[in-house]
Amino acid sequence: MSSTSAVIALESVGKRYGSRTVIHDLSFTVEKGEIVGFLGPNGAGKTTTMRMIAGFTAATSGRVRVAGYDMASQNVQAARLIGYLPERPPLYDALDVSAYLRFVARVKGVPRAAIAAELERVTTACRLEAVVRQEIFKLSKGYRQRLGLAQALLGNPEVLLLDEPTAGLDPGQIQETREVIRGFGRDHAVLFSTHILAEVTLICRRVAIIHHGRLLAIDSPNGLQRAVEQTNRVTLQATAPAQALREQLLSIDGVTALDIRPSPSESGMLTVDCQVDARNGIEAAIARAVAGRWDLHRLERQQPTLENIFLTYVTAPPDRGRSA
Amino acid sequence: MSGTLAVYQKELATYFRSPIAYYVVAVFLLGTGYFFLYNVFLTGETTMAGTFQNMGILLLTLVPVISMRLFSAEYSAGTAELLLTLPLSPWQIVLGKYLGAVTILALMTAGTLVDLVPLYLFGTPETTTILAGYIGFVLLGMACLAVGQLFSTVTHNQIVAALLSAAVLLAFWFVGHLQTFQASPGVRALVGYLSFSLHFTDFIQGLVRTEGLVFYLVVSAIALTLSVAYLQWRR
Repeated sequence: MSSTSAVIALESVGKRYGSRTVIHDLSFTVEKGEIVGFLGPNGAGKTTTMRMIAGFTAATSGRVRVAGYDMASQNVQAARLIGYLPERPPLYDALDVSAYLRFVARVKGVPRAAIAAELERVTTACRLEAVVRQEIFKLSKGYRQRLGLAQALLGNPEVLLLDEPTAGLDPGQIQETREVIRGFGRDHAVLFSTHILAEVTLICRRVAIIHHGRLLAIDSPNGLQRAVEQTNRVTLQATAPAQALREQLLSIDGVTALDIRPSPSESGMLTVDCQVDARNGIEAAIARAVAGRWDLHRLERQQPTLENIFLTYVTAPPDRGRSA
Repeated sequence: MSGTLAVYQKELATYFRSPIAYYVVAVFLLGTGYFFLYNVFLTGETTMAGTFQNMGILLLTLVPVISMRLFSAEYSAGTAELLLTLPLSPWQIVLGKYLGAVTILALMTAGTLVDLVPLYLFGTPETTTILAGYIGFVLLGMACLAVGQLFSTVTHNQIVAALLSAAVLLAFWFVGHLQTFQASPGVRALVGYLSFSLHFTDFIQGLVRTEGLVFYLVVSAIALTLSVAYLQWRR
């Protein structure tokens, strides 16, 4: 698992709080020049994992290594190489923006003579020029989030850990923040967590999916895309003869496969899962085709949400749902 | 060293950009000024003994206000997650913060020097006794702040931190009074030794005793070490 170029390496990491285990046997690596997206719903264990990699909490089993340092015992040495944006931006409200950044830069060991240039670099990258003299408690949510990111970039760390870096930003700011992350990821190791699916597919080379503290999959966005396609599904309920309904549905352009079964609650009614391709308006075409001849009771497009992907990964091997 | 210094300067900036430092110093100086006037002008004694005694009690009530935010505020604002993942050892963090709080103590102490002006203008006070009192006061304050910081290290809630430190500091202040009810010489010696106020009284009387000096420094060191140990343990 741990190759020589792995800057972040988790080896069978577990975390227990009392009798509650929140992370189970988690193993993955992030290499230099790689952006890895860390995907999971709230409460999946993303933040706990981030905290263990950052050295804020220690794993109760297994090993977390950052740049070769064991985070259980050498976290202070490793901290020089880590930029960390926690879920809640860690800002000192009483300070102004430049005093705050100067404090972090000094502690991170940025040489005194280089601090001004370093502040200039991160404030420009994170578009904070307009608020450099402002007190932090006066900043808007978007600025707070970007100041948290700026702080993490100080000292040009080898490893960047970002816990939901785009939360609370408007679309334009999200775009800019992604550019910053993308630029930084070219020659650093970046792990960032999110529950926004589109985000990881846009900028990550690999995606780790975590749920209930377990790693479900670590894959390229393309691999994830296949899972997304599987959840492109339309579910409908109709009262109709099964064979005729099947033929009618399969004749619609865009319906690739389907699964018909009797509805458990009402006799005579059928529940149909249609595998469809991603085009728009497919559900309208299905509705017209069915409602023209029979009683259509319900029709629903299953969105390719994160939850659906989880279900795909949790409940079955990737080929399920294609049976006609 | 530079890490400790950076934390120290951050602490001072935080104190002075919030009302806490001004409030604490102002209340302390007003209180001390009142006690000084009462003790010196009403009793006509040109000593600081009574005033020092009152300063000690006043200090006990104000120390929790200074120390409560040291770590509790970092936890509740989420900044602990930054502070504890920066390249800083727990000792650098604890010392930097402690020195910040001690600086507020130093300012409070320095402010009371104004009281010495009328004392020297209109009387002939014993300089060495006053000096000993000040040494005792600063040592007492340092021990109290270290204890207060310890309680701030273990809770997210500033109010809880303040209440716990106030209770413990008052207990240490009054524990000497138990001597009266104890027959056993061993227990009498023990509660006497643990008393913040009895050691302080020695200093006020002009006695800079090694015992008192060591006592306050050891209490500070133990409390700071426990803070560091807690920070390491909580991971």
